[in-house]
Amino acid sequence: MKGVRIVVIVVLLVAAGVGVIFLTASGRGNAVEQPIAFSHKIHAGQNQIPCLYCHANARRSAVAGIPSVQRCMSCHRSLTADKDKADKPGIEKLKEYWEKEEPIPWVRVYDQPDFVRFSHKRHVLKEIACEACHGPVETMDQIEAVVVVNMDRCVSCHMERRASIDCWTCHK
Amino acid sequence: MGIDRRAFLKVIGVGGATTALVGCGAEPPEKLIPYLIPPEELIPGMASWYATVCRECPAGCGMLVKTLEGRAIKGEGNLAHPVNQGRLCARGQASLQGLYNPDRIREPLSRDQNGHLHSISWDEAEGRVASRLADLRRKGKADRVAFLTPLLSGGLDRLIDTWLSALGSRRRLRYEPFAYEPLRTANRITFGRDAIPAYDLEGAKFLLSFGADFLETWISPVAYARGFAAMRAYQDGRIGTFFYVGPRLSLTAANADRWIPIKPGTEGFLALGMIHVILGEGLEVPLPQEERERLKSLVKPYPPERVAIRTELPEGTIFRLARAFAREKPSLALGGGVAMTGSNATSTCVAINLLNYVVGNVGKTVRFGPNVTLANLATYRDMLSLIDAMNGDKVEVLLLYSTNPLFTLPQAAGFREALRKVPLVVSFSSFLDETTAEAHLILPDHTFLESWGDYSPREGIYGLMQPVMRPLFQTKAVGDTLLSLARQSDPKIAQRFPWPSFYEYLLEQWKELQKRLEPGTPFDTFWEQALQQGGVWKEVRAEPVRLSPQVFELALKEAAFEAKAEQALYLHCYPSLIHFDGRMANRPWLQELPDPMTQIVWDNWVEIHPEAAGRLGIVEGDVVTVASPYGEVELPAHLSGGVRPDVVAIPVGQGHTAFGRYAEKRGANPMALLPSKPEPLAGSVMVLSIKVTLTRTGKRHQLVSPAGSDRQQGREIAQAMPLSQLGEHTEEDHAPKQIYPPHDHPEHRWGMAIDLNACIGCEACIVACYAENNVPVVGKERVQEGRWMAWIRIERYVEGELERPETRFLPMLCQHCDHAPCEPVCPVYATYHTPEGLNAQVYNRCVGVRYCSNNCPYKVRRFNWFEYSDPKSKQYAFPEPLNWQLNPDVTVRGKGVMEKCTFCVQRIQAAKDRGKDEGRPVRDGEIIPACAQTCPTQAIVFGDLKDPNSRVSKLARDPRRYRVLEHLNTQPAITYLKKIKQDTEQV
Repeated sequence: MKGVRIVVIVVLLVAAGVGVIFLTASGRGNAVEQPIAFSHKIHAGQNQIPCLYCHANARRSAVAGIPSVQRCMSCHRSLTADKDKADKPGIEKLKEYWEKEEPIPWVRVYDQPDFVRFSHKRHVLKEIACEACHGPVETMDQIEAVVVVNMDRCVSCHMERRASIDCWTCHK
Repeated sequence: MGIDRRAFLKVIGVGGATTALVGCGAEPPEKLIPYLIPPEELIPGMASWYATVCRECPAGCGMLVKTLEGRAIKGEGNLAHPVNQGRLCARGQASLQGLYNPDRIREPLSRDQNGHLHSISWDEAEGRVASRLADLRRKGKADRVAFLTPLLSGGLDRLIDTWLSALGSRRRLRYEPFAYEPLRTANRITFGRDAIPAYDLEGAKFLLSFGADFLETWISPVAYARGFAAMRAYQDGRIGTFFYVGPRLSLTAANADRWIPIKPGTEGFLALGMIHVILGEGLEVPLPQEERERLKSLVKPYPPERVAIRTELPEGTIFRLARAFAREKPSLALGGGVAMTGSNATSTCVAINLLNYVVGNVGKTVRFGPNVTLANLATYRDMLSLIDAMNGDKVEVLLLYSTNPLFTLPQAAGFREALRKVPLVVSFSSFLDETTAEAHLILPDHTFLESWGDYSPREGIYGLMQPVMRPLFQTKAVGDTLLSLARQSDPKIAQRFPWPSFYEYLLEQWKELQKRLEPGTPFDTFWEQALQQGGVWKEVRAEPVRLSPQVFELALKEAAFEAKAEQALYLHCYPSLIHFDGRMANRPWLQELPDPMTQIVWDNWVEIHPEAAGRLGIVEGDVVTVASPYGEVELPAHLSGGVRPDVVAIPVGQGHTAFGRYAEKRGANPMALLPSKPEPLAGSVMVLSIKVTLTRTGKRHQLVSPAGSDRQQGREIAQAMPLSQLGEHTEEDHAPKQIYPPHDHPEHRWGMAIDLNACIGCEACIVACYAENNVPVVGKERVQEGRWMAWIRIERYVEGELERPETRFLPMLCQHCDHAPCEPVCPVYATYHTPEGLNAQVYNRCVGVRYCSNNCPYKVRRFNWFEYSDPKSKQYAFPEPLNWQLNPDVTVRGKGVMEKCTFCVQRIQAAKDRGKDEGRPVRDGEIIPACAQTCPTQAIVFGDLKDPNSRVSKLARDPRRYRVLEHLNTQPAITYLKKIKQDTEQV
C-alpha cells in the first residue's frame, strides 16, 4: 500500500513537472514560430550555403550574430526578380521588412544563461562543427533546439578534448 | 499516511527537481533583432573604443570610451593624452552616469504661468527664442542678451562668441565657481602675466603647498597626482619631501610628510617670513643686486619671530622650512587653493610667487608656458556686474549653458532675485539643476559623450571630442541649436553662419588648426589621426619672466574675517574630491563613494575639532545651526582632528534643492554663508573670510560610513618604514611550514602588488570597479546596515597623536589567498581556488550561507541581501537607462548570492583570447584590472607571479614587501609595499 502511494505521488509530481516543462519549452526551445518561415533546409541543405556565410561573426566574435536584413536582401534582390512571387510568401515578407526599414524580430531558439561566458570564435577556430551544438540544421525547415546545450554537454566535450574545465572558463 | 520521513524526502527530491526546472524555463522567449544594415567595422560582441575629452571639470583629461553594440560601457583615461596619460579620477569614471542618468532632461521643455514644465517641440522651442532675439534686434536692444557658459575653448567657444557678437551683444561670461582669480592676478603683479603657469611636481625635490589641494580639485588633479607619485618614488636613496600648510587636513594634506595647521589667512606671512630667512642667510639664488636689496626691504617687516606670532607657528618651524626650501633645489611652492581665498588672497599669492622666485624655481618648476586655459575665466566680480545688469533690467535674454550659478554663487550675491527679473531665461542644460529649474525654456544639450567638440586645457593641447554613441534622447547639441537660431534670424546674420551643422563648423576650425600646426599634412590624415589619438599635442616652450616693478608695492595686510559673535569659528568651505562644485552630485556612484577623509557617504556635514565641540557641547551627529553674518544652514556635526580647533569645515557640492533623485535633500549648501563682496585685488569670492557660530538644534542626524576604526589597533594592516631603513639589509622571508601541499599552478599564478607609497587614497579605483563589474549602489540606509557592495575599498588609518596625525591609505580587495579561509567552508563548492591562482566565486552555485564572508579575515566579500538586479524590485540599483551601462561580460548578481573582487577575470579571459588569436602567450602588463588601469599614481600592478621577470614578481621581491595579516598564513596573492616615511626631523 505504502509503495503504491509513493508511486502515485511520484508519478503525479513528475507528470506535472514534465507537463509544465513541455508547455514552456514549446514556447521557447523547440520549433517556435518565426516572423518569416525561414528554412535552414533550403539554405544550408539544398543550396549548401555555408553557416559562416550568414553567421559571419561566429569566427570573429563571441557572438555568432543573426545576418542583417541587408545580407538577406543581397541575395534575394537578384533571385526573386524572375521567379513566381505567389510561391514565396516568406520572400515577400522579407522585402516588406526591407522596404519598411525594419529589422526582423527573430525568436531566439538557443540561449545560454546570463552567467555563462561562451565564445563562438574560440569554438569555430578550434573547428568544432556547428552541428555539435546546433544539430543538423540543414535538415530542418524550422529550427528546433534538438541538442540540449547544458553544462553536462559542455563539460563532457571539454573533458574529451582536454579543454579547461575550470569553472571560471565558462562561468562569469 | 504511512509514509516515513525518509521516503517523503525522496519523493520531494524528485518533484522538487522538476519544479526547479520549470522555474528556469518560464522566462518569455527572447527576440534576436538583427541590424537592418550593419554599421561598418562593428562586430556584435566586440568592443569599439572612441577617444574624447572628459568635460566633467576644467582639467580636460583625455578619455577612451568602450562601447558595445553602440552603448557606452566604460570610460578610461587616454594613454596618448598628455594631461592624464591613461588615468581618470573618480569623477571622470562617473561621467557615464551623467550620460545614462535617469533624471536627464529628455526633450525641450517650456514653463507655463503656473511654473509647470511641459514638453514642446524643438521647432517651437527654437522659434520662441528666435522671435525674442529678433524682437530685441528690432528694438535695438540686442546687447541685452547675455550668455553664460563654463570654461570652453576651441570650436564651441568661438561659435558662441561669433554668434553673440553677430547678434549685437558682448555679454559673454565663462564662469567657473573656482576661477583662481587671486593666482592669476598675483602672476600679473609679480611677473606681468595674467596666466596660470605649468607646475612641475615631478621635478621638485621639496614641495610646499599653501592650501592647494592638487590631489583633489586644484587645476589638474590627475596630472598632479602622477607628478606627485613620481616625486615621492624612492630613487637614489631619497624621496621628495612634501609639506602642507593649511587649516584643514585635506586628502592632499594627508599625503604630506607634515601638515602644518596654520592660522587661516596668514599663509602670506609665512611665505614672507621664509623669504626673510632665505635672504638673511644668503640661501637665495644669485639675484641682481638692486632687486635683492628691494626684496630685502620688502620682507624686512616680516622677521620670523613676528611671523611666528601671526601664524601661530613655532619660530623654529619657519627657519627649518625656509632652509629646507632653499636647500632642496629645485623646490616648489603652490598656492591659490580655497584655503587661501580670504581678503588678502592676491597678496598671499604674490608672496608665494616671490618665495619661488628667490630660490630659483621660476623657470624650473614654475614655467610660464604651456599656460593653463583657466586664465580665460570670468572673475566673480564680472559675475557681480552681470547680476547688477540683470537687476537693472539690462538683460532681457539670459542663455545658460552647462552652468549652475544659483547653486555655486554665494547666495548673498543675489543671483536668484536677479534671475527672476530676466524676462526670458533659456537653459541648455542636460539636467534640471537649480538654475535650470528657474528657466522659462529648456533646450537640452547632448552630454559630452554624445557630442562633437574640442577642448584645450592648456596651450599646446588640442583635445578632440567625438560622440561615442548616438544621443539617447531628443536632445540637440548646443552648437546646432545656435546655428539653427542663426538661420532663423535675418538674412544678414544667417549668411554669416552657412554651416549645416556644428560638426561642419568644427571641421572648418580644425582645417585652420591643421594649416597652423601641420601645413604639410593632408587634412584628412590630420583629422583621422586626431580622432584616433584623441587630439593633437604640440610642445610649448616656457617663456622667461622677470619680476615686475609692481611687485615691490606689495603690502600684505592681515586677513579680515567678518563675524557675528565673539566666539566665532573660522569657516572653511572646500570643493571635495568627490563632488567638486556640486555639478556631479546626481551620480549614484559618487554619492556612495566614501569621502576620502571622513569616509562618510551620501551626505554633507560640518567638520569640527573635538576640543571646540566639547566646549560647545556638540557630539557626533548633532544637527547644528551654522550661522554667518550672511545666512544660516543646518548640518550634522562630524568631529575630527582634521581641522584646527578654531576652524570648522564644510564640503561644497551637496545640499541641492533640485538636480534629481540622487542629489536632492542631502545636507545644506554652504554658499548660503558666504559674503557677496569680492576680494579687492582679484575680484574673487572670499571663501575663507568669515567666522561662524555653531548652536545645537537638539535634532540628531545619522552620518553613515562603511569604515571601521580610524586606528589600526596594533594589527599592522597599513605598514610604513622610515627612509633611513630602506637601504639596509632586509631579512629573507621565513615561510612557515605548511601541512598541506601547495596549489599546483600549471600555467599562471595571477597576483598583484600595491605600493602604499604611491597610493594617495583618491578612490578612483572604487568607481572604476563599480563601472567594470556592475556593482550595485545600495543607498545610505543599506550602507548603514553594513551592506555596502564595493569590491575594493580604501582603508584609511591614522597613526600618531591627534595634533600630528600620520594618515595611511590601503586599498583592500579580495587577496586571492593560496590558503583562502573562505574556500573550505563553502558547502557547495561555489568558491574555490582556480588553477591560475584566483579565488573564484561561481554565482549560480552559491546558496548564500555566507560562511565564506564570516571566515574572511579581510572582510572583502559582499552579500546580495536584496534584489538589486531586478527592475521589479524596490531595491533595483540600475533604473533605466542606468542599466544601459552594465558590462555584459560580467554577471549582474541576484539576491542571495555572495560576490567579491575577481581580479577582473573577464579582462584576464579577454587577454588570453587575444593571445590565442595571435598564437602567443599573454604578455606581461597586457592584463590590467579596472582599478589598476585608472589609478592616477599607478600604485597597483597586476601580472603573473609564475613569471619571475614580470613586474609584479619583481615588486613581490621588493625590500618593502609585506602581506596583510601575514601571520594568519592565508598566503595572499597581493603583495603590499610599505609606505616610506620621510625623516622630517631634519627639516
